Amino acid sequence: MLEINDLATAYGKIEALKGVSLSARAGEVTCLLGPNGAGKSTLMLSLAGILKPQRGSMKFEGEELVGKSPAQIVERGMALVPENRLVFPALTVRENLMAGAYKRRDMGGIRNDIEAMFGRFPRLKERTDQLAGTLSGGEQQMLAVARALMSRPRLLLMDEPSVGLAPLVVAEIFSIIRQLHSEGVSIFLVEQNAHMALKVAQHFYLMEQGRVSFSGNPGELADDDVIQRAYLGQKRAA
Amino acid sequence: MVIDFLQITVDGLLDGGAYAIVGLGLSLTFGGLRRLNLAYGATAMLAAYLGAWLHGQMQAPVWLVALAVVACAIVIGWYVERLCFAGTRDEVAPSRGAPIAGVDGREVVALASSFAIWMQLEQVAVNLLPRHLNPFPSLAASGEWALGPLMVRPDRLLVALLAAGLVFALAMWLERSRTGLAWRATADQRTAAHLSGMPVARQQTWAFAVACALSGVAAFAVLSIDGQVTPMFGMWVLLKGLVAAMLGGLGSVRGVLWGGLLLGVVEAHAQSLFGASGREFSTYALLFLVLVVPWRRGERGALFGGLRA
Repeated sequence: MLEINDLATAYGKIEALKGVSLSARAGEVTCLLGPNGAGKSTLMLSLAGILKPQRGSMKFEGEELVGKSPAQIVERGMALVPENRLVFPALTVRENLMAGAYKRRDMGGIRNDIEAMFGRFPRLKERTDQLAGTLSGGEQQMLAVARALMSRPRLLLMDEPSVGLAPLVVAEIFSIIRQLHSEGVSIFLVEQNAHMALKVAQHFYLMEQGRVSFSGNPGELADDDVIQRAYLGQKRAA
Repeated sequence: MVIDFLQITVDGLLDGGAYAIVGLGLSLTFGGLRRLNLAYGATAMLAAYLGAWLHGQMQAPVWLVALAVVACAIVIGWYVERLCFAGTRDEVAPSRGAPIAGVDGREVVALASSFAIWMQLEQVAVNLLPRHLNPFPSLAASGEWALGPLMVRPDRLLVALLAAGLVFALAMWLERSRTGLAWRATADQRTAAHLSGMPVARQQTWAFAVACALSGVAAFAVLSIDGQVTPMFGMWVLLKGLVAAMLGGLGSVRGVLWGGLLLGVVEAHAQSLFGASGREFSTYALLFLVLVVPWRRGERGALFGGLRA
């Protein structure tokens, strides 16, 4: 579904991605793990068209996305739930969802989808006309996911959806990921929380210093040295 | 005594309409782009000068002058936007711009360069028509309407109603339309607006063009009552517009109307009590109060906020 080949992105002279190659298959949850500063968020922002890669290719369902604008990428069927959620704080919950459907013109379908989101996230329904900036972190994360889903993506990109959330809320977020997967949405997930991520993913990649250093399937590799040393063994900063 | 008080209040409200109409564009630019355009008044003034030139040298009819002032304001505004703002709005990555004294560094650059362009535009106007006073097509009405014991000048009432109409039309459009929602979203969280597929750069260019067109409308409306234009008009637009916009909360469309009316009424009473210098003093006193007293730092009423209806 998504094929990334030798992708390189730089901030000025600092190369954050040094030739990344990986792929995400349709109907699967693919997970990208790695420590802070590995380039995971840079990869996600490049995929969404916010950052412009210097070289390499990223193909979505066979179509090249390098050089496409964020709007064109959303239209192709790929939506990003960004790091730190980035909800529209001064817009209401409903307006946030409407904004997520900006590229769509079917008013009836949009209205139905908003109701569907309220069914999926009942806590957002209670806060329909509340400003998004006044929501709790977990509610904002749900809103960010719902907003991305409003564009009806076939591939959902999620950048650290669990960061900064209480353990119970993290569990809730992952149950949403599991549910979306069971409904046939393909997901490409970046996570720091490797234990949780490996439980929902069918395939994972490990990224270090701008490169993919390892890949595999969760079941067979849970105790693998590489992950242990590079990631799982480290205590996360509080 | 009571009649005097009411008459002064009515005069102030009518003045306030003019302040609101000049503040509207400033608030829109700030709300939409998070940039304070110091060349805003100079843009309106130079456009008015071109209108005065058409009127004085070419004997152009009034409707043509009105059209020309609005069109020139858009063209001059476009020039200001290219020079001061276009280069400072690209987002490298979310919140990774270099801060200067706690502010996004690019805001400081835009502010300083728009000041330079202000001076440049003023010089162009002075070179175009070197006299201090220049005739502008006058639509001033001679008579006054009597509303009971109160007197109202119909031309100034018209300007105040135009201000209210523009404010409510723009506010409704921001609240109800798909594009209005996108403008507010872009002002609120630019990266998320990109991610939702909104044409951020195009929207910002449009917001700027609309703000400049409004400055042209404001210039024509105000000057056609005075019947003349001086180089000081630019400073007047910037100052009164900025105070009106800040009283209502920069970025808030409806707030500009309330801010303008408040400023007008306070100024009118200050003038009747303390004379012309009292009027000037009350303007700055009001601005000072609104900056110092933290009475409306809530979500919707924030002093410096994103674009809101």
